[in-house]
Formats: sequence, C-alpha cells, structure tokens
Amino acid sequence: MRWSWLNNRFTVTFGTIFVLVVIWNVYISFHDHGLIEGRVVGSDGAPVAGATVTLSEQTLLVNQQRGKTTTDADGRFKFTGHHMHRPYLHAEKEGVGEFGPRQFPLYFQGEDLILKQPLELTARTS
Amino acid sequence: MTRGRRHWPVHFALALISALMLVPFYWVLKTSLTGENIFSYPPSLLPHEANPFYFVDVWYAIPFFRYLINSVVVSIMVVVANVFLNAMAGYALTRDFPGKAATIMLFLSCMMIPFQVTIIPAYLITAKLHLLNSYFGMALPLMSTIICIFIFKAAFEAIPHSLVEAARIDGVPDWQIMFRLIMPLTKPAIATNVILSFIWSWNSFLWPLVVVRDVNMQTLPLGLSRFLSVVEDTTGALYAFCVMVLVPGLLIFLLAQKEFIKGLTSGATKG
Repeated sequence: MRWSWLNNRFTVTFGTIFVLVVIWNVYISFHDHGLIEGRVVGSDGAPVAGATVTLSEQTLLVNQQRGKTTTDADGRFKFTGHHMHRPYLHAEKEGVGEFGPRQFPLYFQGEDLILKQPLELTARTS
Repeated sequence: MTRGRRHWPVHFALALISALMLVPFYWVLKTSLTGENIFSYPPSLLPHEANPFYFVDVWYAIPFFRYLINSVVVSIMVVVANVFLNAMAGYALTRDFPGKAATIMLFLSCMMIPFQVTIIPAYLITAKLHLLNSYFGMALPLMSTIICIFIFKAAFEAIPHSLVEAARIDGVPDWQIMFRLIMPLTKPAIATNVILSFIWSWNSFLWPLVVVRDVNMQTLPLGLSRFLSVVEDTTGALYAFCVMVLVPGLLIFLLAQKEFIKGLTSGATKG
C-alpha cells in the first residue's frame, strides 16, 4: 500500500523514460571522443598508403571541410576531436582511384566511428 | 461464439475506418524515418531504408531541448493553474449566490469570443505587468478555461449534497471541503482538465509568438516555424520535428484516456 504509487502508470512511464535518458547519456559520455578511424584499400583489397582522406561536414545548415590526413603504411587513417553528427569521408590517390564522398550518419555529435568496412578506392571513368 | 460471429462485420468496418483515420499519422511517421519525397509517384506504403537520423538532424539544427523545456514549463504552469482555479470557480458555481444565473450567462457568452479578438488588450495587460518574454506571461491567458470550469461544475454537482452538508455541519471550512472531500471524488474531471489544458498550452502558437522576444524563450510550435523558415525542402527532418512535437501530447492522452473519457461522459447518463 505504501509503495502503490510505484505501480502507477504515470510513474512507470516517466520513470522508464528517465532511466532510458540516463542510460543513453552515460553511453554518450563513454563514446563521444570525436574519433573516426578507418582503412583505405584498393580495388584488389590491398591497403593503400599515402591516400588523402578528407573529412567534411554537411548538415541542414553547414557544408564545410573539417580535416584532411593521409593514410599510413597500413592504409589506416584517424581523425580526432570531431563534433559532427553527419560526417562525410572522401579518399583519393592519384593513379589508384577515389572513394566517396560518402556520408556516415551518427547518433550524436562527436560519436566515435570505427569503420568496419574499409574505404575502397575505385578508378573513376570520366 | 455466435454473438462474436454476428458482430464481425461491424468490427471489421470500424477497424477499416480507424485505419483510414490513422493513415496521415502513419504517413508522417513513415516520412520522418525515410525522408522520401511526399510527391513521389507511385507512393510506397511501406518504409524503405528507415533510419532515425532525421531526428538527430532536428535535435542539432535548432535548440530543440531548450524549446522542449520551455514548452514543458509553460504547460506545467498552465495545467496546475487550470486545475486549481477551475475547480474553485466550478465549486462556486454549485453554490447559490445573488447573480449566479447572470454569471453563468456571462461565462457562456465569453466562450463565443475568439481569443484573437482579445489579443491586443491581453498583450497590453501583460506588458503593463512586465510579464512579456516570460514563462508566466506565456501561461497567463491559458490559466483558466470556461469549458473546464463547467466540467468541474458538472462533476461537483454529481456529488451528493448530503456529503457536503455533513462536512459543513462538522465545521469543515469550504476550502477543505473542496480539496479534501470533493476533489478526490472527481478524478475524471481532473484528468479531463489536465489533458485539455495540456494540449491547448502545448500547441499554443499565436500567444507565445506575440509575447516572446528572445529566441531562447520560444516554445516548440514557434521552434517549428523557425525551423521551416531556416531550412527549406527538408521533408524527412520536418516530419521528424512534427513527430517530436506530437509525442508528448499523445503520451499524456494515452496515459490519462480512461479518466478523460469518463470525465466527458460522466453526465451523459442518469441513475
């Protein structure tokens, strides 16, 4: 009887929403370092070193380049400290090919993005 | 078994009509998840490549959380004031006093005056009280509604007079009779009042547009119009915004619908 208010549908509904919001914010706090990591490979699957990877932001209000880097010997690249929720990645290397620009939408600004699939450079026919 | 079989055509027809009524809401939800052009032909009934990222776009395109807090604060003020003030007015109308009939006629005639007609004097009064661009200023005109006063009046009149008289004989003051004896017995009327005042305040656009000066004090309907003016041709994000504005009102109604229906129909049958 004393705790019957806990069984009230308002308490259950808003309590559940509150708990979900807290859990989501805790998840965000552990995954918002602004990290984007990935690999660039050629059409044969071999890693491409020295490819230029460009990070840009294109949202409803903004269209701007935010970073540029080159891949290492293993074809890996890394960006840190981004504050975007719709990053675009574009990779290219002369003589090898081009990838993108392609969008990688995120669930919140600064979400860490570890690309599972490598960015595959393909030769573009003009 | 035979009774169920007899009624299936009625249930089928009602289910079909209900589904037709829900099509616009389904379409808004579907477009908010897919972003497809509403003018595309042929229109697809099922969502293709549904994703929640339009909701993320809306969250970051405008200060959505700030607008949400503003709407929640104003709505809570309106709901609390409505229940408190309308209950007192409804209780007063159940008592006999000189000019009671004239007062009721005055209330009924005021119901016929649209809010837009009174917006200029309302603005001047709010300005004189230095309440422009404030939560209280936004909530003030909505703090009492005549329809809800009559809902309370009808609910209070349904309570046996002998109960009230017995309390009065015991020396219980009027305000205690109302808040400790009568109000707990009129939960459907309270729920009706809560739902109606919440929905009216949540969807209120004209009065906040007139009163608010600061962008950070805007409520969700104003935020939606600002969103439309800033961004064009954003069907997915626009519909996502609509869904985000609709959900709280829908949630409140679904939680309190049983009491709401009871409150509206409590005077419909006698005995």
